Amino acid sequence: MSESRGARAGVAIRGPIGAMGVAAALVTMAALILLAGVLLVEAREVLDWRFFLNPPSRVAAEGGVGPALAGSLWLTLIVAAIAVPLGVGTAVYLAEYAPPTRLVKAVESVLTNLAGVPSVVYGIAGLALFVRGLGLGPSILAGALTLTALTVPLVVVNCRKALQAVPDEFRWAAFGLGASRWQVVRDQVLPAAAPDIVAGCCAALLRAVGAAAPLLMLGAVSFTTFAPGSPHDPLTALPTQIFAWAARPQEGFLALAAGASVALLLLMAAMHLVLFANRRRRKGTLT
Amino acid sequence: MTATALSRAARNPRSPGERFGKHVLFICAALSAVLGAAVIVVVALETFRFFGQVSPARFFGGLTWAPLAEEPGFGVLPLMAGTAQIAAGATFLALPVGLLTAVFLRYYAGGRTASILNAVVTLLAFVPAVVYGYFALNYVTPAIRSVWPGVEGFNGISACLVVGLMILPTIVLLSREALGAVPNSLLEEGVALGATRRRVLVRLVVPAAAIGIAGSVVMAAARAVGETMIVTLAAGNPTGPTWNPVEGVRTLTTFLAQASLGDIPTGSIEYGACFAVAAVLFLLTCGMHAAGGALMARGQRGKPGAVRS
Repeated sequence: MSESRGARAGVAIRGPIGAMGVAAALVTMAALILLAGVLLVEAREVLDWRFFLNPPSRVAAEGGVGPALAGSLWLTLIVAAIAVPLGVGTAVYLAEYAPPTRLVKAVESVLTNLAGVPSVVYGIAGLALFVRGLGLGPSILAGALTLTALTVPLVVVNCRKALQAVPDEFRWAAFGLGASRWQVVRDQVLPAAAPDIVAGCCAALLRAVGAAAPLLMLGAVSFTTFAPGSPHDPLTALPTQIFAWAARPQEGFLALAAGASVALLLLMAAMHLVLFANRRRRKGTLT
Repeated sequence: MTATALSRAARNPRSPGERFGKHVLFICAALSAVLGAAVIVVVALETFRFFGQVSPARFFGGLTWAPLAEEPGFGVLPLMAGTAQIAAGATFLALPVGLLTAVFLRYYAGGRTASILNAVVTLLAFVPAVVYGYFALNYVTPAIRSVWPGVEGFNGISACLVVGLMILPTIVLLSREALGAVPNSLLEEGVALGATRRRVLVRLVVPAAAIGIAGSVVMAAARAVGETMIVTLAAGNPTGPTWNPVEGVRTLTTFLAQASLGDIPTGSIEYGACFAVAAVLFLLTCGMHAAGGALMARGQRGKPGAVRS
């Protein structure tokens, strides 16, 4: 970072641009506080331990996110188990091994572009590929595979950035000592890039856990009485549960939608802890 | 690892590690490529099948979109107009706030403030779209209606506002990156010449980063184009084409979300229409993403370090 402290230090926040900047920053912060406040206030009546276990119900007061939470946990685990190794492996291959052929360049640019494609497109593709093509039906597995297709390009793009940030001197020095390519990758490049790789994977997974549109396209259910016990059980997840409740005008469902949002954000926060633990470690080491 | 061990391993290119590296990583890359290709191919194939039933001229030239009507209309233009309306509105709202926040972060905020603001922006980036949608429908819309009673329950204004909030982090983080490419010396020289800080920022620094900032805006607009849940929840899905932001808006994405709520039989014309709409969405966002990326890369050319000798 070459941000000079000199350009900042000693200059108080003055002048119209400074004032407008403060105002813009306040708007940004207010938006987050408002969002969090509304969710917590609205959800306070429903949030108890039963809410996290109960299935959704016709009677708003008895409804819970049990099945949806279990579904989201299944999805997270399966997507993490497939997309992370696949994406990291792809990024390492592309950055460290791949010959600069036309095919490799094409694969790279396709994956980069796929990272910018809206999630709903993955939903419709997953409907044709997994739900109907492979005959998986609207199951947890079909949902997980669709989210994997969405997550892999993100993991690849994030990890490529992490690998590119490793200075070439690391590689040259190791090669100069006679290390093989795999030794360079394993002992030099991966350890140096590890914090950014973990952060990149975490960001991609958080995106997948919060995605509602693709699961909606696959035909996720929001009214199931039992928690999914295997990947072949009907697809249900927190984001689609929120969607189902958010659009119901009846009294009581608003609170349920807020409660489910809090549950989703808690799940994401738990995943985020991995990232923060990792950040703290990074501060102690290089850079 | 000692140097001897290193060189011993280097002499043996068939060691298990070497083979693992080459083959397993290659298989990963191949699988990723196949997965990505499968997504593209299935959308393309179903779109071509749809064009066998409905001519591309009718699809791109028609002015009504009503796949289920007795006299079905398959003109995608109304949907694209709705998408443009939401994306333009959201970008228009997010740009000033986002750019000013980025300028504030880069040139005004001190360590503590900057790190808090950074955390807030990052948190906003991680809020799931469906949560934003819930917020838009149940809080933003009633708030707008209490001020302006003529607004309908499902309306484009609420969608624009909240999609704008969703793309705000993209604009802030990417614009800050673009501003980071402007050498600090520019600011220092400007101030040394006697210009006020405001003048230097407005006349020198922001114009110098303009290409990169434009890139960040295009990237953010691409996200707005693809946004599904907020627009579906907040703007609903009226059947007719609407130009009035006070009423509901129908976009490429809301059509897909709404269609998924009914059961679409495989091979039906509506099933094909979903893929054709998805293909339009795909090409649109890919194009914008690529253009935004190219602009951002151009904006990074003057980065300090590249210039400094």
